[in-house]
Amino acid sequence: MTSVNTSSPTSRRHFLAGAGAVGAAALMSGCVTSGSTGSSSQSSGGAVSLQSNLSSPQAKSAMQDLIAAYNKRGGTKASLNTVASETFRTQLPTYLTSATPPDLMTWYPGSVADGYARKDLLLDVSDIWQTGELAGYSDALKKLCTDTAGAKVFVPASYYWWGVFYKKSNFAKWGVQEPKTWDEFIALCKALKAKGVTPIGLGAGGGTAWVASAWFDYLNIRINGAAYHRELLAGKHSFDDPQVHKVFDKWAEVLPYFDPNGTALAFQDATTAMLNNRTGMMLIGTFFADAAPKDQLDDIDFFQFPIIDPSVPVAEEGPTDGYFASARTRHKAQVKDLMSYLATAEAQEIYLKGSSGTSLPTNPKAKDSGTPLVKKGRALIESAADVTQFFNRDSSDALQPTADTALTKFLARPKEITSILTAWQRDAQKIWSQ
Amino acid sequence: MTATEHRAPAAPSRAAQAPAAARRAPRVTHRMWGTAAFHTSAGLLSLVWLVPIAVVLVTACRSFDDIAANGLGTLPHSFTLGGFRQAWVDGGQQQALINSLVVTIPAVLLSLLLASMAAFALSRYDVPFRRALLLLMLSGNLLPPQILLIPVSKLSEQLGLYDSLYALIGVQIGFGVGFYVFVLHGFMRAIPPEIQQAAVIDGAGPWQIYSRIILPLAKPALAALTSLSFTWIFNDLLWAITVLRSDSRMPITASLLGLQGQYVSQWNVIAAGSVIAAAPTVIVFLRFQRHFVAGLNLGAVK
Repeated sequence: MTSVNTSSPTSRRHFLAGAGAVGAAALMSGCVTSGSTGSSSQSSGGAVSLQSNLSSPQAKSAMQDLIAAYNKRGGTKASLNTVASETFRTQLPTYLTSATPPDLMTWYPGSVADGYARKDLLLDVSDIWQTGELAGYSDALKKLCTDTAGAKVFVPASYYWWGVFYKKSNFAKWGVQEPKTWDEFIALCKALKAKGVTPIGLGAGGGTAWVASAWFDYLNIRINGAAYHRELLAGKHSFDDPQVHKVFDKWAEVLPYFDPNGTALAFQDATTAMLNNRTGMMLIGTFFADAAPKDQLDDIDFFQFPIIDPSVPVAEEGPTDGYFASARTRHKAQVKDLMSYLATAEAQEIYLKGSSGTSLPTNPKAKDSGTPLVKKGRALIESAADVTQFFNRDSSDALQPTADTALTKFLARPKEITSILTAWQRDAQKIWSQ
Repeated sequence: MTATEHRAPAAPSRAAQAPAAARRAPRVTHRMWGTAAFHTSAGLLSLVWLVPIAVVLVTACRSFDDIAANGLGTLPHSFTLGGFRQAWVDGGQQQALINSLVVTIPAVLLSLLLASMAAFALSRYDVPFRRALLLLMLSGNLLPPQILLIPVSKLSEQLGLYDSLYALIGVQIGFGVGFYVFVLHGFMRAIPPEIQQAAVIDGAGPWQIYSRIILPLAKPALAALTSLSFTWIFNDLLWAITVLRSDSRMPITASLLGLQGQYVSQWNVIAAGSVIAAAPTVIVFLRFQRHFVAGLNLGAVK
């Protein structure tokens, strides 16, 4: 009990992962507490409890503003409860199967929410999607929040986008332009390498191995399309298919331009390397802006991941965050009221104003933070024919480690791709057949 | 240090015996080299231990923009105590530290009280099945706590204690008592039976023997266990996040985890938070240092 939690953060994370696995195992075996009328605090009062994983100080205070605004309206009251995102991730199955669950929780839509919905753990909120501001949401979001049974179980609140980020001042200094196509991208990499700069930073080390999945996702949706990508992650195709081999063939073309420290540095350190002009650009989500000093934010710009096959409909990664409610909530009507409020333009603007402001509202009428970067990002996602979430959100948290292993191996030994993909398929099959 | 001091007085007498000195000189330099090597390697080793602590202290005093611009591994370009303020106020460490102490102090006192009573009975009286009981407690310690996470969480829910500090205190006592009994049993068994017999002749009952004879004699063991259990319970994260859900009730370890963002971590705030979280255990360690070291070999010799 002691050796585990006195040591370094890494082992703590490993340990939490273990704890999460235990939680998941309990969920799998249907270990759901049923009896117990319970006298836990969140069911005794009239307030709706919102369990939030937005634990970074800025996001936390933005959520506090949001809940304060809701409570000021009168009527239903809500109480916010913020726990560490790492704790939240491992404890979520426990929250959902508990006899006195939190009423509302922050999490992801799509296949992750669907996985819980299929176990009857989520509240069906189809009725609030019929009226009010949710009715005006885009069809893509409506589809994203619907489970396999056809019920809406999720209310989206914000999303962010991925792009190849760089420093404007550096591109001007090096005399290079944003590339549009794959060939232009390779030419850009060559030009940067000729100037003695490492063209592409990665940041897939030190606990953020998942960052490398962005490259896999993007290459796959550019080459094989978003539909194939989703099917692949759902287990309908095999990772040793020829289509997947094509993804890695393309990746191998730019691999010589990757930072050799790419799998050693965590993405925050990789961000620093780019800001210090050691690397030219990196494929990353907008959350990385939180890791940049405030005075450098105006110098940061991004371009769309280059087009490889023009005949494939352009899809972008736009991971969406939002809320789902527990099926066992004792405040069904109040929870729905709060969820409707969280979907309004007013609520989303309050949150964006308080947070770091690099995410986008899901409500089409809500204003974003209005910086040129955010405007460009919103245009990118709105012009996309399809929007994918991210590797773990389109599949499951259980599949992500298999990708991390495979991609890390590929980055180290690209020649062994055949055996790597066979091993990946074998590992993934174990997860899918659970 | 001690080696050189011991040798110093011996040197003049050696110089007096001229022929012998010539013969011994190589051995003396040999020994000097050995001492130097020992001190250098020990110094380097302690440096390895101290560097991470120094890095944490330095990082805690940097601004986030400095870390973001120059990287974590560079020399500091700024000095601010803002990280401490952010961890203490915005990160909620003030409340978390209070929660930690509210859990730790009663848990330490109660578990040692219960454990000393159990150990007293098991070591001084012929309780039936005492061997089996002790083995049961030992085997409880060998059980990895991870496999009990779900049962503990569900049980605390059934008892209506979930998400309360009582649940955490209860769990900490439950999981600590076995080990403390085992250690105290070993210690109390070594107390000569004649002392107890004398007390019995003087008319003392079991309660008086326990509170006035055995307990004072077991003080060294209790002090060592106090410092050990304080550190263990204070540093525990696992049980806290298993039985608690509200941020206002989380102890310091869980709130330290909360300082980490979903994607980006403000290393200066986390480092400052770690310093705050480590302070109480360091204070307890310094206060009970002697017993702490004694505690390490408690139970080593039966």
